[in-house]
Amino acid sequence: MLGLKVLFRIWGEPAFASRVAPLLESSPEAEAKTSEAQPEKKEPARSEALTLLAVLQREGRLIDFFMEPISSFPDAQIGSAVRSVHRDCAAALERLFAIEPLRAEAEDAAIEVPAGYDPAQFRLVGDIHGAPVRGKLSHPGWKATRCEMPGWNGRPEAAFVLAACEVQV
Amino acid sequence: MPAKYAIGIDLGTTNSALAYASLEEGKLELLSIPQIVAPATVEPRPLLPSFLYLAPSQEAAAGAYNLPWAVKRDYAVGEFSRQQGADAPTRTVAGAKSWLCNTRVDRHQAILPWNAPADVAKVSPVEASRRYLEHLAGAWNAAFPDAPLSRQTVVLTVPASFDASARELTREAALSAGLPENLVLLEEPQAALYAWLASAEGGWRRILREGDTLLVCDIGGGTSDFTLIGVTSENGELALKRIAVGNHILVGGDNMDLTLAHLARTAFAEKKVDVDAWQSVALWHTCRAAKELLLSNEGPARQPVTVLGRGKRLVGGAISVDLDRKSICSTLVEGFFPLCGIGAQPARQRASGFRELGLPFEADAAITRHLAHFLTQHGAGKESPVRPTHVLFNGGVLKAAPLRERLLEVIASWFDTTAPPRQLEGNHDLDFAVARGAAYYGMAKGGKGVRIRGGTARSYYVGIETAGLAVPGAPRPLRARCVVPFGMEEGSETQVGGEEIGLVVGEQAHFRFFSSSTRKEDKPGDVLDRWSEEELVETDSMEATLPAAKGAQDGFVPVRFVSRITELGVLELWCESTVSEEKWKLEFSVREEG
Repeated sequence: MLGLKVLFRIWGEPAFASRVAPLLESSPEAEAKTSEAQPEKKEPARSEALTLLAVLQREGRLIDFFMEPISSFPDAQIGSAVRSVHRDCAAALERLFAIEPLRAEAEDAAIEVPAGYDPAQFRLVGDIHGAPVRGKLSHPGWKATRCEMPGWNGRPEAAFVLAACEVQV
Repeated sequence: MPAKYAIGIDLGTTNSALAYASLEEGKLELLSIPQIVAPATVEPRPLLPSFLYLAPSQEAAAGAYNLPWAVKRDYAVGEFSRQQGADAPTRTVAGAKSWLCNTRVDRHQAILPWNAPADVAKVSPVEASRRYLEHLAGAWNAAFPDAPLSRQTVVLTVPASFDASARELTREAALSAGLPENLVLLEEPQAALYAWLASAEGGWRRILREGDTLLVCDIGGGTSDFTLIGVTSENGELALKRIAVGNHILVGGDNMDLTLAHLARTAFAEKKVDVDAWQSVALWHTCRAAKELLLSNEGPARQPVTVLGRGKRLVGGAISVDLDRKSICSTLVEGFFPLCGIGAQPARQRASGFRELGLPFEADAAITRHLAHFLTQHGAGKESPVRPTHVLFNGGVLKAAPLRERLLEVIASWFDTTAPPRQLEGNHDLDFAVARGAAYYGMAKGGKGVRIRGGTARSYYVGIETAGLAVPGAPRPLRARCVVPFGMEEGSETQVGGEEIGLVVGEQAHFRFFSSSTRKEDKPGDVLDRWSEEELVETDSMEATLPAAKGAQDGFVPVRFVSRITELGVLELWCESTVSEEKWKLEFSVREEG
């Protein structure tokens, strides 16, 4: 029955015919093939958390900084080292995550918290009751505006290596 | 399949970039280029540093340099390779582009990295350039699998100072990297101007007037380039015409970073701190960051420069000195952009019998002296140098306002005028203008938008030995016959007049070949008996093999030259027999002379 209906409409309506034509050309097998051709979404070969640590060490030497006992150094010495770690780690975070304040308002500005607020976006502090509530923004929060981690395709046994050892030859 | 995108590729000396626009929508965008940033780590970045790291076999075997679109790589291109340039210099190729136009070496021979030990599998300058372009092509094809690069409209930029031979080598590298046959080469300063035109969206006609002269001042990481573009009027419409291009000057931002690092090292020495080789590299990197901060408009008065300890002792091993803004500014400004007269000449290389073959780095780092020389060279006589009315800046170095201001100040001081040159108003995208402008040109080629006219940036000459009695011990005098006049337009052909030349049948015809960026009046067929070393620069010679031909008289065929500039801007030189229909194309011989 459907076949006959389609047949008559194809005869009668050229526009309908042109819509049917592509259906005949692409067989289900062909469609299956094109979806196979898409590269498989592979699981990362190691945790992206490790990759991030490796980035911060490579570009900003963050792990060197945290692993070094610094209590015996004078503040000035620590300060001058921190500048460089700060500059390079900040550049890496900016590139990978483009971090921006969650709220554009200045600190201490009065803002309104909507009735059905998401606790992941608003953390209320103090005497909480009623809704909607007004309050003072004491911290504007942070958000990543992108997340572009480098891909890692090393061997499994190297997955936990955060920085290769360096050998002067 | 018709092209869907116009693609502009900036193959830079230190950084490369790719911009594109869909031919339907016309919006310019930058391609994010996945590249090796550390072994086994691939990250997309907007710039691809033009560095090539040749990995030892054991590293390659671990698959550390594989890309999403290529496996079993024994080399890497991009950010990681740039860092390796400091850590493993004997395995890293840098500045391949400057080698491409170095006629003193064979550009097809595997000579890079220069001075690398014997066990490193060296590559030729052409091959290095091919790998950079192949990386860009791979990144594009991975991002746009439905629109392969080889089927798009592609514009590749070259320095304006590249002569026909260097352009030919660039094209050769590009075609073997998978760029399309109808690839167009565009001069970088023109591309930068196209980017400005694109951002001005037709408003440029309100900013520039007939008779204005525009100086494009491009200072990159390793090289500086100047180009003059005139504003003329054609059928009542404003038109742009390239008037002159300068020589390839091997001074750039890297020289400035090195200067700062040297300054910092001296400051460390005063504190009795010795900076070792590894720390020197870190110092260079830190100085680059400090330079950008100190030269920015709201830069701090003092900037500490710290080199962290090597090994795990980061804080404990850190050493630090303060650089102050004033002395840095004056060192860079006075060192690279000193005040000078318009008659100033850059110091020439000391002439010595034996010179190392490496890159011909400039003896004089003063960019203002090179500029003065350029404007004088292209003016009407020594007394009337070209006076630019507007300046377009390009290159990351010129983000620093003090450097731009100094350049404008120096140029203004050369001319007794009430209207000093102004920076072109509007958007100056100093990092990506060349790639963007090239993509815009790719779109404009289809008919939309304004085009800069200009033709060839040089005139070309064939060297011909004069006939006459041989004198023992003296070479026969050489004459130069002009075969391509300055400004010969794309898609045109010239019959070169003058006497016929006899070519030996069955042998290789071999001609010395010269170019000039300053002799603009010579016509095809004109013969020069003498010239100064500065006027005519010898480039790669040209050759053709003549099979035994009909009409040969005593083994000679009389021929005339015909020169042609194709629509794609490729120079072709033909020898046409005057006694038969035969003709032979001359090819650049880029092999080393014996």
